[in-house]
Amino acid sequence: MHRFILSRLLSAIPVLFVVSLVTFLIMWLVPGDVASQIAGPDASAEELAAIRDRLRLDRPMYEQALVWYANLFQGDLGQSYLLNRSVVDAVLERLPVTLSLTAMSLLLAILFGVVLGVVSATNHNNWIDQATMTGALLGLSLPDFWFGLVLIFFFAVELGWFPTGGYVPFTEDPAGWLRSMALPACTLALTQMGVIARMVRSGMLEQLGQDYVRTAKAKGLPRRLVLFKHALRNALIPVITLIGVMTGILLGGAVVIEVVYSLPGVGRLIIGAIQNRDYPIVQGGLLLTAAVFVFVNIAVDILYTVIDPRVRNVR
Amino acid sequence: MKSCHESRRPTPLRRLLIAAAALAGIAAAPAGAQTEGGELVLAQGANPPSLDAMTSSSESARNINMNIFESLVTIDENVNPIPMLAKSIEASDDLMTYVFPLREGVKFHNGDEMTAADVKASLERYREFGATRGMLDKVAEIEITGEYEITFRMSEATPTFIEGFASPRAPAVIIPEEEAAKGANEIEIIGTGPYRFVEFVPDSHVTLEKFADYTANEDFDGPTGFGGNKTAYLDKATYRIIPEAGARIAALEAGEVQWADQLPVPAAKRLMSDPEVTVFEARQWAFLTLIMNWKLPPTDDIDFRRAVLYAIEPEEVMAIATEGFYDLNHGWQYPDRTYNAGDIGKEIYQVADIDKAKEFLGQSSYDGEEFQILTDPNYGEHSRAAVVIAEQLKGIGINAVVKQLDWATVLKIRLTDEDWNGWTLMQGLEPFLGPYGIAAKMTGEQPHQRGTDPVLDDGYNRLITGATVEDRQQAFADIQTAVYDLVPQIKIGDVGRMQAGSARLKGFKPFRAPRLNDVWLE
Amino acid sequence: MSDSAAVPAPRQYRATLREAGRQLRGLLRHRSIRVGGVLFGSVVLVAILADLIAPFDPNKNDFRAMLAAPDALHPFGTDAFGRDILSRVIHGTRLSLLVGLLVVVATGVLGTVIGTMTGYVRWLDGPVMRVMDGLMAFPGVLLAIALAAALGPSVVNAALALTITFTPRTARIVRGSVLVVREMPYIEAARACGAPHRRIILRHILPNALPPLIVQMTFVFSVSILAEAVLSFMGVGPPPPTPSLGNIIAEGRAYIQEAPWVALTPGVAIALSVLGLNIIGDGLRDSLDPRLRNL
Repeated sequence: MHRFILSRLLSAIPVLFVVSLVTFLIMWLVPGDVASQIAGPDASAEELAAIRDRLRLDRPMYEQALVWYANLFQGDLGQSYLLNRSVVDAVLERLPVTLSLTAMSLLLAILFGVVLGVVSATNHNNWIDQATMTGALLGLSLPDFWFGLVLIFFFAVELGWFPTGGYVPFTEDPAGWLRSMALPACTLALTQMGVIARMVRSGMLEQLGQDYVRTAKAKGLPRRLVLFKHALRNALIPVITLIGVMTGILLGGAVVIEVVYSLPGVGRLIIGAIQNRDYPIVQGGLLLTAAVFVFVNIAVDILYTVIDPRVRNVR
Repeated sequence: MKSCHESRRPTPLRRLLIAAAALAGIAAAPAGAQTEGGELVLAQGANPPSLDAMTSSSESARNINMNIFESLVTIDENVNPIPMLAKSIEASDDLMTYVFPLREGVKFHNGDEMTAADVKASLERYREFGATRGMLDKVAEIEITGEYEITFRMSEATPTFIEGFASPRAPAVIIPEEEAAKGANEIEIIGTGPYRFVEFVPDSHVTLEKFADYTANEDFDGPTGFGGNKTAYLDKATYRIIPEAGARIAALEAGEVQWADQLPVPAAKRLMSDPEVTVFEARQWAFLTLIMNWKLPPTDDIDFRRAVLYAIEPEEVMAIATEGFYDLNHGWQYPDRTYNAGDIGKEIYQVADIDKAKEFLGQSSYDGEEFQILTDPNYGEHSRAAVVIAEQLKGIGINAVVKQLDWATVLKIRLTDEDWNGWTLMQGLEPFLGPYGIAAKMTGEQPHQRGTDPVLDDGYNRLITGATVEDRQQAFADIQTAVYDLVPQIKIGDVGRMQAGSARLKGFKPFRAPRLNDVWLE
Repeated sequence: MSDSAAVPAPRQYRATLREAGRQLRGLLRHRSIRVGGVLFGSVVLVAILADLIAPFDPNKNDFRAMLAAPDALHPFGTDAFGRDILSRVIHGTRLSLLVGLLVVVATGVLGTVIGTMTGYVRWLDGPVMRVMDGLMAFPGVLLAIALAAALGPSVVNAALALTITFTPRTARIVRGSVLVVREMPYIEAARACGAPHRRIILRHILPNALPPLIVQMTFVFSVSILAEAVLSFMGVGPPPPTPSLGNIIAEGRAYIQEAPWVALTPGVAIALSVLGLNIIGDGLRDSLDPRLRNL
């Protein structure tokens, strides 16, 4: 088991190395640089050259990359060109926003997804099932940023139940935090809720057709016990693997939702940094986000192996 | 005001005591009606790129910095230079020496008193890191001539020096000596203004609080422009960064913010009937212009450029680009300003003359090349104007394409001779500050149009060095004539800016940056 | 139906073709595929006939009718340029489908080539799949946005950015099928008979990778349409005045209260296209490969 965990952790290294290489490649492709952002639109060519020299932007890309990797080995991701703080600080400052958004929407998606999936499966082929599954499919088909605008329009502007955007830290005001997170988390959860509902439904239908369920029923166990203790539990196992994949999708989706709801999260940090050519933030931000994703997946793998030891041998 | 040209003419003896000008244009505030305390939440669209005021000429930084920092000289409500941290401005007759006696007892936010040493250190730092450091080019020496006195020795007489020095574009603010020793963006945010810096969380908010020991300028009766006798009523001010225009409006309507900038015009018009909201219409906020690249075909051809000039129908471009809040103005100054050059070019501007445009196009060597209009999505006006202009030019057979790139890329490309022919740009501060900034962009080492012409160079020279206002007005009129002939830029019109505040917000008057002083919440 | 996904024997190539025809007819009998087909088919039809059915030129400005409310002339109103929303949405749908199609074709080809090569050529497997893993470690949309920003705004670049983003997963799916088939006895037999690699890959391996690939392609199609809208919304999609659905939403969001028709209409168009594709995808998954039903 230890060896398995170790090998999974080691496998993260080449993946993250590729991530950082690809990021360098992207930044090498991007036209323009941070100098004009710092100096403003009226800067002369000499002023721009001076800034480029100070930030070593005029060095060849491979040299910049080597310096960056050398610093990385000392645990230093560098300084932001524009935000007056280190990359690590800038990301850590934003991480609570993105993580609470991701975690809350994951929670909502699982909660509602499982409930809808169970409702659907227990009403197999009647109108409830049809309606739920059509709803789930529709949820999968809506552009989330557009759905976010619609939610703002109805629940924040027309009804005034929630703020239109902005973030309230949990430590300052837990109720305000919940209110500020409600609409963004619901928006982000919508798509994944549909995915989970569909998966739970088909998983449960499969389980309900299995021998042990029939046996349990034949033994005269109450229907509810059969459903929840046996069928649901087994149908949930694949949902766990999905959490890993979904974390990635949600972390990505969070970018757009953060823009729509003016949330100061990591996604908006990176988007802003791309627009302003704040390379250290792009580089470090993407690396750290990818690292979160990779490690969540490793954790899920390990968890899955603990729950279902058969998997270990297959891998 | 980048570079000033040689002046051989003897300057008439003069003594500038501009403090007198302060009598004009003081914003009248009814005494005793103000409410003390409270927090004002403002919504603006972008992060300040830096709170190191000297280093940034961006509007989103200025909105905040003008409340934290002050400079020796600033502008009043009518954009005339007035002393701020200086007691007065005393120029020698030959304009080779300027003496600035300082106001005594002015406190920095760290509690220290401002002295000449701080002023010298700040201005020396400005020469190194100031975004518009060119305005100090003609200052040979900055001398401490007393604990509360600083003296500039000029290398060359420049009649328009003080106007440049007072510019709030990237203001030459005064910071403590020990901070002035630090590099760009490395300082602690410490000024002498009525509000002090508390925190900046990028993409979220900037918080300021009232500076209890603020030393008001008793030389004035009331606040004016960025100077005068300022009073802080609000305890706290929070600038929330909300990029989405729709979200700024929604936040204002929900009462989460009490002031919002850059509102879409349709929303502002709707809000006008809302008793909870006051809409501030800032007309004459910026010039919308189309800048030409003289170095790349087809715009290297003067007849082609004239064809573009005659083909543009300004009303359609302005109506769509500004969502209906605009003034048609052919002039390169606002109508009521000193340097307004009258009707020069008005006939060409007013309506599109398609026949004339086609005639010029026929005379040119144009052969179906792309006319690439550079623009960006960050300012809706830029991008909408580019789209409408492109459609209009297609009407006379020009192969116009919109080239929308992000702002950073646009700023890079427009400094090259390649990849662009036209560039849609709003020029806000330049026309606000007068004729110099506008004219400077058509001459010198880095003209917007990438090329130079002796007529424009000469006009600018005379504008900067002209001894009398009449001389300078004539110079600017000549420049405007040349602009409608040589077409370095095309004036599309004057853009307005919509701002709005809660009905509880009192005393607010739109200016180049929202002023936290002398406003209060009822 | 489920048996048809089994591995065909080597010499029954022609029989396989007949089988494919029978499968296709079988597919068309599937309820989901028919429902989704009708829905998506009508969207495609609208896109193809855009020039004929759009009542106005999508780029025709009219500053006297800016943000006009829906009426008989403009059934979905006009935008801030006075342009007809219906016409722009019709043309925008065409553009979205075009981007989706470009991405599907490019992803399909690249994914198949990479998946097959890595599955079949053992020494390529490690390094290439590490690169694919790296690309997959980026939170999806973020990579596409960064790439599109780097490449510059255009239809082709948007498609390119999405292709790079979606290829790794496709390659992984193809590789998975190839790995399974590679170990089959008849492949070893074919190899023993001296059949060239090209023939083995084209005749025996690829046909078996096809069903999951087709399912994945409908998925890529629908996700591309959504992602193109995101790119446009973030300002890195096709430049104005191109009527892309994301552009129209992005332009309309500032007027969501005064003129909700601008931002709402294109969202519905996106939802219909994607819904149609998703229903088809469900049907295909059911009939082609029951093992994939859970994904």
